[in-house]
Amino acid sequence: MKPSRPADPYWMLLPSLLLLFVFFVFPLGMLVKHSLFSWDLLTPARYVGLANYRSLVRSGELWQTFGTTLSMSAAVVLGSMAAGLALAVLLDRPGRWAAFVRSAVFSAYVVSWVSVGLLFLWLLDADSGIFASIWRAFSDARAPHWLADPALAPWAVAAVTIWKITGYALVIFLSGLQDVPQTVLEAAELDGASPSQRFRNVTWPLLRPTTLFVGTTSLIASFQLFDVVRVMTQGGPVRSTTVFVYAIYEQLFLDLRVGRASAEAVAFFGILLLLTGAQFMLFRSEESA
Amino acid sequence: MTGCAVDAVPNGRTKVSLWFSYGGTNREVLESLVQRFNRSQTRDFVQAVYQGDYFEGLAKLRTAIAARCAPVLSHVVGEVVPYLAEAGVLEPLADYPGVRELDLIPELGQERTWLAGGARPLCALPFNRSTPIAYLNGDLFAQAGLASPRTWEELRAAAKRLTEPKAGGRFGFGCPINWWFWVALVGQAGGSIVAENGRISLGDEAGVRALRFWQELVQSGWMKPPPGRDYNAWEQCNQDFLSGRAAMIWSSTAFLKYLEAQARFPLIAAPLPAGVKRAVPTGGTFWIVLRGAPSAEKAAAVRFLRFMHEPEQVIAWSTRTGYIPVTHAAVQRLEQRGYYATHSNDRVALEQLTVAEPWPWSVDLFRIQREIVQPRLESAVVQQRDASDILTEARALALEPT
Repeated sequence: MKPSRPADPYWMLLPSLLLLFVFFVFPLGMLVKHSLFSWDLLTPARYVGLANYRSLVRSGELWQTFGTTLSMSAAVVLGSMAAGLALAVLLDRPGRWAAFVRSAVFSAYVVSWVSVGLLFLWLLDADSGIFASIWRAFSDARAPHWLADPALAPWAVAAVTIWKITGYALVIFLSGLQDVPQTVLEAAELDGASPSQRFRNVTWPLLRPTTLFVGTTSLIASFQLFDVVRVMTQGGPVRSTTVFVYAIYEQLFLDLRVGRASAEAVAFFGILLLLTGAQFMLFRSEESA
Repeated sequence: MTGCAVDAVPNGRTKVSLWFSYGGTNREVLESLVQRFNRSQTRDFVQAVYQGDYFEGLAKLRTAIAARCAPVLSHVVGEVVPYLAEAGVLEPLADYPGVRELDLIPELGQERTWLAGGARPLCALPFNRSTPIAYLNGDLFAQAGLASPRTWEELRAAAKRLTEPKAGGRFGFGCPINWWFWVALVGQAGGSIVAENGRISLGDEAGVRALRFWQELVQSGWMKPPPGRDYNAWEQCNQDFLSGRAAMIWSSTAFLKYLEAQARFPLIAAPLPAGVKRAVPTGGTFWIVLRGAPSAEKAAAVRFLRFMHEPEQVIAWSTRTGYIPVTHAAVQRLEQRGYYATHSNDRVALEQLTVAEPWPWSVDLFRIQREIVQPRLESAVVQQRDASDILTEARALALEPT
């Protein structure tokens, strides 16, 4: 359809473009500019070129933060999807009990991140937490310091995140399961397929779009991890839970290095852009296949 | 939202906007003193607003200075004063009426908190000043027949003796893995963070000995490294002590009144032990007046500071919190009233001032603390990395241009 006045589409797009420019393009441009300066907010900014980027790479901070973020994200995405799917399959049935459990699991999703962080800080206490009590029932040794041991802390934080967002995955998977046509499942049953075969060969392939959606949203949530890290570990011990968003916060608001924080944010943006591009290409190749 | 509410400024009074960084009892005491000031005269009115812990408050303050909407008055940790002063954002205070006459205890004021601090323009007045001290569980020490450790060897022996390694047991010693306590250990090991010629030495061999002492205590299972960083670790350490999970801790004198009120056992405060000598750093915060504020507000802010340095306010602040009284007059009045005879724990930090070591006046001190040393201390103690390697790495980074 051709507009009667050629300028009309541009006028109509203008409000959205303006908002996009003011709240996205302009701040992004400022971010890139700041990343080329050394600035502490008080003394005059000093142009340093790519020194902030070089420093991030040379100190190993960029790769360490990326590795931590990626490994915690992988754990969160896989964990929440597996738990959400398993619970959805178990709870995809009528009855009050199933409805109660569904609501109970989902309720964690609506609790604030800060409350969840504080709750688990208490539960995971190596001396008086409930997990330590369970540990003591089986062992004479001291319970592990879940949040003080760099080898355990990232997984403890990831587990808390999984607990928090599994309710969301459960609800989405439930709706996906309820969209699977009963006729197809009944046909497979008549053909002699066992429950596991029906799940593997009928339900699971039909859940693919749901799985991709849950995977994408969990990935976004895991890359935005901040509150629970801020409350539970403050990025420690030994930076073992310093994910990207927390690293940017720490550089900017605690160390007051505007340039380094901006460089880290630009790097994070670039990495997310690459990941999104890869995901986009994956979708397209699957669509064309 | 009553916790966030601030009183409106009555007509005709000069507003003094104060940003502070205390929660709990300290906040209550400060707010009560602010109210006392506001009621005591009709010329000025202080509006006190809570801004998070020291580091959050500092971040907000620096952002506000950049945005030209900073308050006229705030308080900041000592490590950051040289940086703010050299950035030119602090108001010189010496020429305001009555400031030169304040009878400050030199170790707690700018004069001796920093090397040659008296030779620089006065831009910081002491507020809540502290030293690290040891807190001992009196029952456990009495049961074990132990006295408060006076040397590192005695500390090691007491920590070992009081440790219960079984599940649900107890650590003999607890201490946040924090720069402040490491600086205390470096001083006790005979070193200093900056050498006499101005080189950032991080204590050289003394720094390594200090770190190895901590590593040994943790590796032996006698000391619990508390989880969390910054003040979360301090709070965790306090809770370990109060719940009996740590028999002895190092913490700030700032927590004295809180710990005394909460402990269900006799609490003994003790000076830190000696390595090759006795030494402690001072800590806490200083009042600063922001240079960019209107002149009338700056003058009003200084009038409030003079009020806060009057003996009754200094006494109220120190006896209700545990911080050290910052003026001679306040200490003398407390002595006359027999306060220290009945509150021997309060005397510990005050007496430790005889071995307090000054900080270097360095604009890089805050950066060295937060970015270079603190993360490496954690790494050395928690991951047991080689102390010498880690401090060599830290020294090299400290010398890099920012």
